[in-house]
Amino acid sequence: MGVNLETRIGKLKLKNPVLTASGTFGHAKEFEKFIDLSRLGGIVTKTITVKPRLGNPPPRIVETPSGMLNAIGLQNPGVDKFVEEKLPYFRKIGVPVIVSAMGYTIEELVHVVRTVEKAGGIDGFELNLSCPNVSYGQKGKDTQVKMFAHDDAMIEAAVSAVRKVTKRTLLAKLGPDVSDIGRMAQAAERAGADGVSLINTFGAMAIDVRTRRPVLGNKTGGLSGPCIRPIAVRLTWEAARRVKIPVVGIGGIVTANDALEFLIAGASAVQVGTANFGNPAAPIEVLEGLARFLESEKIPRLTDLVGSLRA
Amino acid sequence: MFREICRVLENAPVAPGHYALTLRSGRIARNARPGQFLQILCADSSDPLLPRPFSFLDAEHDRVSFLYHVVGKGTQLLSQVRPGEDLRVTGPLGHGFSCGTRRVVDRRFTSFALVGGGVGIPPLHHLAKTLVAPGSGVRPEAVHVFVGARERSLLLCEKEFKRLEVKLHVATDDGSKGHKGYVTEVLDEFLSKAHPLRTRVYACGPTPMLRAANGVCARRGVECEVSVEVPMACGFGACIGCAIKVKDTSAGAAPDAYRYALACQEGPVFKGGDLAWE
Repeated sequence: MGVNLETRIGKLKLKNPVLTASGTFGHAKEFEKFIDLSRLGGIVTKTITVKPRLGNPPPRIVETPSGMLNAIGLQNPGVDKFVEEKLPYFRKIGVPVIVSAMGYTIEELVHVVRTVEKAGGIDGFELNLSCPNVSYGQKGKDTQVKMFAHDDAMIEAAVSAVRKVTKRTLLAKLGPDVSDIGRMAQAAERAGADGVSLINTFGAMAIDVRTRRPVLGNKTGGLSGPCIRPIAVRLTWEAARRVKIPVVGIGGIVTANDALEFLIAGASAVQVGTANFGNPAAPIEVLEGLARFLESEKIPRLTDLVGSLRA
Repeated sequence: MFREICRVLENAPVAPGHYALTLRSGRIARNARPGQFLQILCADSSDPLLPRPFSFLDAEHDRVSFLYHVVGKGTQLLSQVRPGEDLRVTGPLGHGFSCGTRRVVDRRFTSFALVGGGVGIPPLHHLAKTLVAPGSGVRPEAVHVFVGARERSLLLCEKEFKRLEVKLHVATDDGSKGHKGYVTEVLDEFLSKAHPLRTRVYACGPTPMLRAANGVCARRGVECEVSVEVPMACGFGACIGCAIKVKDTSAGAAPDAYRYALACQEGPVFKGGDLAWE
């Protein structure tokens, strides 16, 4: 194909803009039977925490119109086991690997990044500042900030602390349940993030009307899928106008057309998430569709499209 | 595990609210083991978004079949699919019943009790058929199938079991056929006369039935395998959504310690004693 799909997030050069979203791509190995993983623009791992996490009680998922709620609760083996057991496979794939890291405190977040940094062989970090399914900073119920991503000062503090321990590409993953996404993106930029990825799932709930109980074991969950896409596109547009660092667009991308909306709104790259569950080849189909679009529209470089919204 | 677009050969009602679906796929038919499942996308749309998991009713030559209950939007749309149309599927997935491959059946066991309710019955047909397959060394009379339903019209797969010439035991809630009451009561009666170490129980159905079957087996000292039904998104270990509580038997774990296993990978069939029943 005669089109150039390359894009950049900070120092990290991507051969194409299609990454897989954290928590929707397992440890990548689950997909090797379905697709050629080396074609991906990059892979974002399942979020890793300091200690192993059992995850939330079931039910953990429920389907909703054009979407789903999940409350997995960051089930993961912990950073040490991740480095030992999962990382070697990621390194062999030959595409940029971005490790999603999370902590309940800034110290924990730094610990995760530092541990993976020491192990090496990866390309960047995405700080999961916005998981809706776990409680952060348990002390003092009234003053508790539900997540880093809800408060610009906390975003700045978290990103600054991590910035000191890694020179690799650093993304801050933001959450949608805020009044001003631009302010949150700016906080990440001030703190030295190479980019912001948005959007994480929306805090949401489903109720069984007969039992009058929440459907999910965790009571609330995160909403994802095509139903959130128009909101995610708007948030991408708002954030991209307010920062100079790249934005990675996420939210209900199923087809190339969906990805194009995010790119035109200002995203330098995109992540395919929930679509992977129903169609493990979704990222490849998005990628192929993007190349076809650029060709048929005679756009030589993907970057010509980024932020090209006529508004 | 394959991703395929399969031709629909049959899709017709077999009981009130229940349909039998037959798809063409030689590869999937050759690889499907009893208790495994196939993820089927019920529509090419974003609503429903996720595939639905269905255990095999049968797998033979170039065709696989399923028996499903219309319970929601996905299965409603599926019930409208006509022969000649195509469906996107992924599978076979998961870990099935430990009946061995076609010809290898554990010789320790001389009798097999298969207990099912609702849409838990069809996968037991696949299992029974595999157990008594030519060359397995298992006689049909050694296979006892216990099926339960609310009333007689919902007793699924009766005809199919009769064709296999296995022993069929029936229970209905309203007494319209067989024992009036729970199927697990019939199972208990059977196990009271069976050799506990030479009998294996397989169960598939609603959780209360599985819990009761596991309880009966534990009391009688009989090994039991249960196939669980858990909400699931991907079916191949990526979403971590289909968690089920199992006992944590790792070294140094507390006696009541547990962990979450994925029903799509470690299951959907578990040893009854491994689950942390609640």
